[in-house]
Amino acid sequence: MTRAFVAAIVWWSIAAAAGAQTLPSEPISIGNGRVVLGGDVSAAIAPVDPGFFSYGQYEHSTLRQFRIGLSAQVRAGRRLSLLAEVRSENLEDVTPFALYARVRPFPNHRFDIQVGRIPPTFGRFARLAYSKENPLIGYPLAYQYLTSLRPDSVPASNDELLLMRGRGWRSNFSVGNLAPAPGVPLASSLTWDTGVQVIAGLKAVTLVGSVTNGTLSNPRVGDDNGGKTVAARMVVSAAPGLEIGSSFSRGSFVSRTALDALGPLGERDIAQTAYGLDVEYSRGHWLTRMEAITSGWRMPMLSTGLIQPLRSTAISAEGRYALLPGVYMAVRAEHLGFSHVQGRSGNLPWDAPVMRVELGAGYYIQRNVIFKASLQLNERDGGRTTTVRLPAAQLLFWF
Amino acid sequence: MRLFAVVTAVTVLAVAGRWTAAAGDPPRERQASSAGATLRGRVDIQRLAVAPERRPGVVDLATSTVPLEPEVRPAVVYLESTAVPKNSTLRAVPPKPDLARIDQRDETFVPHVLAVSVGTAVAFPNNDITFHNVFSLSKTKKFDLGRYGRGKSQTVVFDKPGVVRVFCDIHSHMSAFVLVFNHSFFTTTDADGRYRIDGIPAGSYSVTAWHEGAARDTHTVTFPPGGGAIDLDLSVR
Repeated sequence: MTRAFVAAIVWWSIAAAAGAQTLPSEPISIGNGRVVLGGDVSAAIAPVDPGFFSYGQYEHSTLRQFRIGLSAQVRAGRRLSLLAEVRSENLEDVTPFALYARVRPFPNHRFDIQVGRIPPTFGRFARLAYSKENPLIGYPLAYQYLTSLRPDSVPASNDELLLMRGRGWRSNFSVGNLAPAPGVPLASSLTWDTGVQVIAGLKAVTLVGSVTNGTLSNPRVGDDNGGKTVAARMVVSAAPGLEIGSSFSRGSFVSRTALDALGPLGERDIAQTAYGLDVEYSRGHWLTRMEAITSGWRMPMLSTGLIQPLRSTAISAEGRYALLPGVYMAVRAEHLGFSHVQGRSGNLPWDAPVMRVELGAGYYIQRNVIFKASLQLNERDGGRTTTVRLPAAQLLFWF
Repeated sequence: MRLFAVVTAVTVLAVAGRWTAAAGDPPRERQASSAGATLRGRVDIQRLAVAPERRPGVVDLATSTVPLEPEVRPAVVYLESTAVPKNSTLRAVPPKPDLARIDQRDETFVPHVLAVSVGTAVAFPNNDITFHNVFSLSKTKKFDLGRYGRGKSQTVVFDKPGVVRVFCDIHSHMSAFVLVFNHSFFTTTDADGRYRIDGIPAGSYSVTAWHEGAARDTHTVTFPPGGGAIDLDLSVR
């Protein structure tokens, strides 16, 4: 399946390039626009990351990744569209990233109902289209960095939790699934959730609400705990070039496997609640973005029989400046912090705080072929590896 | 200083309402030269073009549910000397740098195709409520006007002959062509595909119909001394 998919993409690219004597630069339109296909291919190289700073949920480094994505929109009428995107990372499985129906009951109004595996409601970065919208190669910490928390495995005590500081790449606890596995980020951008989403646009304001099976940290196709996640977002286009967004999400985080292992404690309200604020401002040759996300998990601790509130806050700011036609430089600075818990070793952040600065530049070989180079500097206050510098390069093609 | 001069000139002429034709307007009627010949005819454009679709809005919170309708886009008819360029009689008539504009309206460049002489200053006013970022990476002219909002305009002087593809960095479905000539013997077809080029010096030239990125039909035509009109229909398939 994967090889067939990859072969189809390569075949199509070569055929299209041969016909047009250049790489395709526009989406493929079939049946007078009834079916529109788009895609992106990116290849990123970087040295091995010994601290697993840049790894995501699929156990791939975002700086060492070959990715193919193909998206499609099928217009079944003025009121109904079907949208899908499949991806393959490092030529492994083909994953249906998105698959949903968009219903527009009033074609002349900005009011949509979307059902299926839908785009994230929360935050700004997860919805940035393709890698082109990411001026750098790495992802923001909030959307990629793996904390030690897992939905299917929970710590029995604060000490057990503190033992996993800086080990989100492969954490394990004594309640629930005992096998080591990756933790979750604050907000996943690598997987989309499944449910219903409603979008309404009122002049300069866009309102979004959704009910989904997974949570912000752990989007899912099927429900794993009987609880739903409710999310909302409001975006205000305050002025040309200025967008301000605020987001909220709350849903049951711990899976049924772990809840059963918790006994009566698993009956308590165990939810992830997150708030986000983001701003994008652009003018002239500048583009700046700022985003702050704070997420709280109510984590049951068998050792005390109490719910331990855990909080994490990510702040990031990035800027891009076009130096010349087709040449830009960019920088992103960010911090991921964690609330303190009391353990035998002291009052410590429940996971190791991380600082990251990524500097980079991009060069447009043609309009839809971008070469990026960056240097990512990571520092962590804990874990086996505390400092990692990662130079990276990426070639990105999209249509 | 040069930029200031260009901006001033654009502003003054804009106020005077001397912008050149936009899409849908009839092609420019060049002043017939008493000494030159006229070439006229019709380009049969059988190639329907669809404006580039937006990429599938999988991640967007809302995109249009209505497909874009195919449309007939204008062709550009131009002359080229069959002689070596330095001996071209076309170059003997100096090109007339002009002022022109390509609007950004409803996330579309209007007109989609603009043909100008070398030295022409083209303004790119933004008439949408959203920002646009006009740029080109074409070898003929590289530029990046940055992001600006409604009511603002930036100007580019096209100083080399060739084809320039223009895009918006924010809206990938927006694109336009600017064809830059080092002579004055070109025109854009009207809504019916008709064209007319006046004042052509005597000589033998190739006549080309260019459409959507490529020369689609070329003929060699000889214009005798003493002027007169030659009818030539061209075809774009």
